[in-house]
Amino acid sequence: MVGTNGQFVVETFSLTKIFTDWWGRSRVVAVEDLNLKVRQNEVFGLLGPNGSGKTTVLKMLLGLLWPTKGRAIILNNDIRNPKISAKVGFLPEESYLYPYLNARETLDFYGRLFGLNSKLRRARIDALLDMVGLAGMASRPIGTFSKGMARRIGLAQALINDPELLILDEPTSGLDPIGTRQMKDLIVELAKRGKSVLLCSHLLADAEEVCDRIAILYGGHMQRLGSVDELLKQANKRQITTDVLSADVIDKIRHIIESQGSEFNMTEPMQRLESFFIDIIRQAQQEKRPTSGAINRLDATVAERTAAVANVLDKLINAKVESGGPAEPQRKVETVRLKPNEDVLSQLTEDTQQDAMSPSQTAEPRPDQQAREQIEKEVLDELVEGQDSAEGQESGDDKNG
Amino acid sequence: MIKMGRVWAVARNTFISSMRMKTAIVFILLLMILLPVLYLTTTGDGTAIGRIQSFISYGLGLTAFLISILTIIVSCYTLSSDIKHKQIYTVVTKPVKRFELIIGKILGVVLLDLLLLVVFSSAIYACTLYMPRLSKVADTDIKRLDDEFYTARASLKVDFDELAIEKIVFDEYEELVKTGRLDKSRSREDILDELRKTEKYSRNSAEPGGQVIWEFQNIKPFDVNESIFVRFKYNASQMATGDIAYGNWYVGDYRQIKYGQGWTETPIYNVPRKDTCGSQHEFEVPADAVAKDGYLAVVFYNEPRNATTVMFSPEDGFEVLYKAGSFRNNFLRAQVVIFVRLVFLAVLGVSLSVWLGFPVAILCSLTIFFMGMINGFVVGSFGYLGQNMIVFYKYVMKPLIWLLPRFDGNYNINGYIIDAKLISNRFLVFAIGALVIKSLVLMLAGFLIFTKREIAKVII
Repeated sequence: MVGTNGQFVVETFSLTKIFTDWWGRSRVVAVEDLNLKVRQNEVFGLLGPNGSGKTTVLKMLLGLLWPTKGRAIILNNDIRNPKISAKVGFLPEESYLYPYLNARETLDFYGRLFGLNSKLRRARIDALLDMVGLAGMASRPIGTFSKGMARRIGLAQALINDPELLILDEPTSGLDPIGTRQMKDLIVELAKRGKSVLLCSHLLADAEEVCDRIAILYGGHMQRLGSVDELLKQANKRQITTDVLSADVIDKIRHIIESQGSEFNMTEPMQRLESFFIDIIRQAQQEKRPTSGAINRLDATVAERTAAVANVLDKLINAKVESGGPAEPQRKVETVRLKPNEDVLSQLTEDTQQDAMSPSQTAEPRPDQQAREQIEKEVLDELVEGQDSAEGQESGDDKNG
Repeated sequence: MIKMGRVWAVARNTFISSMRMKTAIVFILLLMILLPVLYLTTTGDGTAIGRIQSFISYGLGLTAFLISILTIIVSCYTLSSDIKHKQIYTVVTKPVKRFELIIGKILGVVLLDLLLLVVFSSAIYACTLYMPRLSKVADTDIKRLDDEFYTARASLKVDFDELAIEKIVFDEYEELVKTGRLDKSRSREDILDELRKTEKYSRNSAEPGGQVIWEFQNIKPFDVNESIFVRFKYNASQMATGDIAYGNWYVGDYRQIKYGQGWTETPIYNVPRKDTCGSQHEFEVPADAVAKDGYLAVVFYNEPRNATTVMFSPEDGFEVLYKAGSFRNNFLRAQVVIFVRLVFLAVLGVSLSVWLGFPVAILCSLTIFFMGMINGFVVGSFGYLGQNMIVFYKYVMKPLIWLLPRFDGNYNINGYIIDAKLISNRFLVFAIGALVIKSLVLMLAGFLIFTKREIAKVII
């Protein structure tokens, strides 16, 4: 074991990558002398323009490239150790998937690589397909998917092992606004559950919304590092938002503020395009218009949205808890945990079990899933019930699509 | 250490890929069309046995060839495509060791091979068995088929007196040196080789009125009802291929005549024959011709009316065969050898594609495959070239050439089935052992390169 006491999930020491030509002569310095530390349970964003070395850093962390100098450590160990890679989820820049496999087979393949047993695989695949809105297209070959749909399978693939550390390369690229919104909600929710996320992006608005800390790279060098709040807060400005006010009241406020010697500015706040777009789609879905694309729940409020994401994550983790009987040899990979994380995890599973109980008391199982095999019944009951209560308005659309 | 679950996942994926990308499908269709066409159209030399021999020769040859090509394509494609299209990023970042990935890929291709080989060779086997029944073959032909085709025969080894030959050869060489007739442009080994060959030829030829004698020692005891088969092909110096030459054959314990005992303990069979030059012939003799101590002689007496010298090639001009196994068993053994060959090709393709792109990997694989088909020629010509650079040849070229597979000559497995020659345990062990060792060497090299390789580094 190298490094610290488990406080950091990713550490790099003077990490340098110089690409050479065929003769071994240096050609491009992609990353130079990078010292990066990602804390446990934080969302860390690696930002920078194209060619700034973001992806190269991720590739070195993942063992896809060897550092020219320095070293990269993940979860206090080398990524090439299978015990470590079993706890990492990775979504590459583009979803590099096998075009001839269908969505379910794809996830099954990756599940097998993690050594998950078949019961657990099936439960997680169902939950993930549902989460990414492709449950209805599970048997269509990936090759026929649009870029965004393939991206969703890529995400599902990265989550199939319930990773402790999620490494996302341009997570929102190629996704529609709904997918982008969901990706961001998911990242936030994962962090809430004690997971760590390292993402790289050049979409600043997305990064700003989800990241706890960011590092800005340029030319392979770290330019700035810090928490988003610290870096962006305008400490000398305040903003007040109210409902529509009468001219009289506005005048009074202006008077008060100006008497304090401060500047007064008033505008009608614009709705963000993202929330506007999502409103429109939600309306269309309520009118049950058909679509051949991905179908996602669009819950009106932030609270509902968060609940929906949380629900899927519950299913993922619950699936694991339920099938984790002693008689299953392949669970070995799963149960090997590093000491420092044990507390967080036991807490996690306790919480989720409680969460999953409450919705299940009201909802009914969906008829189309009742016919499943007896063996999975336990796991699926849990899954199906949770899903119904959160989905509500959506179940009708599923059938239409 | 190695987790079969992960290896199996990769193997499964490789198998599915070859099916859904339709590479395998094309070859399956091709075989499904060509084999029935062959079945219906082959006639061979017109005899029942000729027809079956040419069907099984073309059928097995075609099947083995097409599956080999398919193996090369799939094995070269599977890993190089993953690297090119970057699916490998999502695979090697999972808890899969790189050698598990390589083994999984090979296993996938091997499974495909196994499936195709089992299906198509079973079909060929069934066709071969039913062919005579479906086409109203005469009883005499059935007897011939049972003796010469639906069986597995081992051949007796001629005991050349190698020491005597060596002595003669060296004496002749000395003679050449003394008389100054030595060709200085050729190496000593080369000349000695030629002298050996000439000596062996002279022992296998008979002038008009002369004879050739082949002697065998320590033959295993035979059952009284069994037969032995003399199989021969000769040429005559004054005759063209297809001309008829007369011969008188004696098979039995020749010592009884040679040492004039005056009495015979075991029968000596006399078989007068007239046969065409340049093609294979065969006759049957009861097995009691073999003496109790395991001695047997076959004598060819060249009838004076031929008025020409008759020669048997030392390589394939003469053999004595006896039944040593069943056709089914022999066929199965042939399939095992073909299967191991396919495994070698799969290992070759995957091992090459860990560091070569698809086009280059397939070019190399095909080259090696075809060099395997003409291995004897390649080894011979390199051996000739190597005489001028002995050290380099011995330590660099020779091991490399050894790595080449051998699909020709003795290793041409089709020949065994066509001629109903037993594939002996010894041959099986050597043929399979050599290929397994070669495969392991290749796999180790591939694995070492793959472990060192930066997956995400673009190689142009």
